[in-house]
Amino acid sequence: MNNDEMTEREQRVLSMARGLATDVQPQRDLWPGIALAIDDGSVIAATPRWPRVFAQAAAVLLLVGASSGLTWYTMNNDMLPVSIEPDHSALTFEPVSGSFGSQYMLGPDFQDARESLVAKLDEELDRLPEDTRADVEKNIATIRAAIAEINKALAEEPDSVLLQELLLSTYSEEIAIMQKVDGLAHAVMRRTDI
Amino acid sequence: MGAQLAARTDNYEPVAVTAQGEGDEQTLIALAQRGNATSFEALYRLHIGKVYGLCLRMTGNASEAEDCAQDAFIQAWTKLALFRGDSAFSTWLHRIAVNAVLGRMRKSRREHDRLQVVRDISPPTATVGDSGGMQDLEQALDELPRGARHVFVLHAVYGYSHDETGEMLGIASGTSKAQLHRARRLLAQQLEGTGT
Repeated sequence: MNNDEMTEREQRVLSMARGLATDVQPQRDLWPGIALAIDDGSVIAATPRWPRVFAQAAAVLLLVGASSGLTWYTMNNDMLPVSIEPDHSALTFEPVSGSFGSQYMLGPDFQDARESLVAKLDEELDRLPEDTRADVEKNIATIRAAIAEINKALAEEPDSVLLQELLLSTYSEEIAIMQKVDGLAHAVMRRTDI
Repeated sequence: MGAQLAARTDNYEPVAVTAQGEGDEQTLIALAQRGNATSFEALYRLHIGKVYGLCLRMTGNASEAEDCAQDAFIQAWTKLALFRGDSAFSTWLHRIAVNAVLGRMRKSRREHDRLQVVRDISPPTATVGDSGGMQDLEQALDELPRGARHVFVLHAVYGYSHDETGEMLGIASGTSKAQLHRARRLLAQQLEGTGT
């Protein structure tokens, strides 16, 4: 007998099941508990929050994209005719899932790499031409403001995968720029040495 | 039913609703999506019976069913802005309720604490046939293994297709069919034992 073949008794069971009450009232009114949860702020209101978060995310993405583009342009114009090959091997990034946002910590490898670059940043910036330095500083500041904004949004939507990914890519952008500054400053130093 | 909902004086916007019919429900949903809690309360009043009934039959425990139904409506409030009307609102709510039940069951394996669901259920006004047979079925249903019970409740009692049942429970449609077959067989055996 296959699954679709039923005995008479099984047919009777199904027939009885169709007659079972599907509408059963709870013994107590559950609304007060629901209203309390909705009211006390522990539950996010139903007003369209996603569009706002998406708008924030899109704005931040635009900001970071523009900032990175500007930095890329600044560093790749004719001002410094030195080929730069940043050493990526020391900064291989392996994403750590769920490790971002105000409630999370960055992965230790990422944090080490970032701290090392941040520590060297001022020193490296001093070696750059003044105009380039101003542009780079401005763009790093923009990226850090974006990181702060995303963290704020994550505090409201800690489970937002989009925001977590956005934060991850923004941190990566920041590291890429610092990495580039690092390589650029050394290139400038080498060229000066010549 | 024509439930006239009393206006609340605190942070809620007063909305008097004749809670009947699809058009009214759409209005309630639209208002609730804009953050109107009174409209959401009207939706709760409309759907709590079916949502609680589903939770009760799935958990087999009145207290857990209340918690699940409450969780489901709180979740529904948080996700209401995402409801686009692709399915019926009741189906959307039921999916959330099923998730609430499954989530709660994953957290606590308290199957042994289950009470006799039959005694918790209000007098079955919507049943047909002899009430003794129905009570036996309720009891037999409560004794089913969890997977088979969930499929039987969603498919045979609430009328969802195997595809919908599988989607709600996170199982394949074929698994749903197999579980239904198992449930049917076990229930038939149990009812045979009771002489129903």
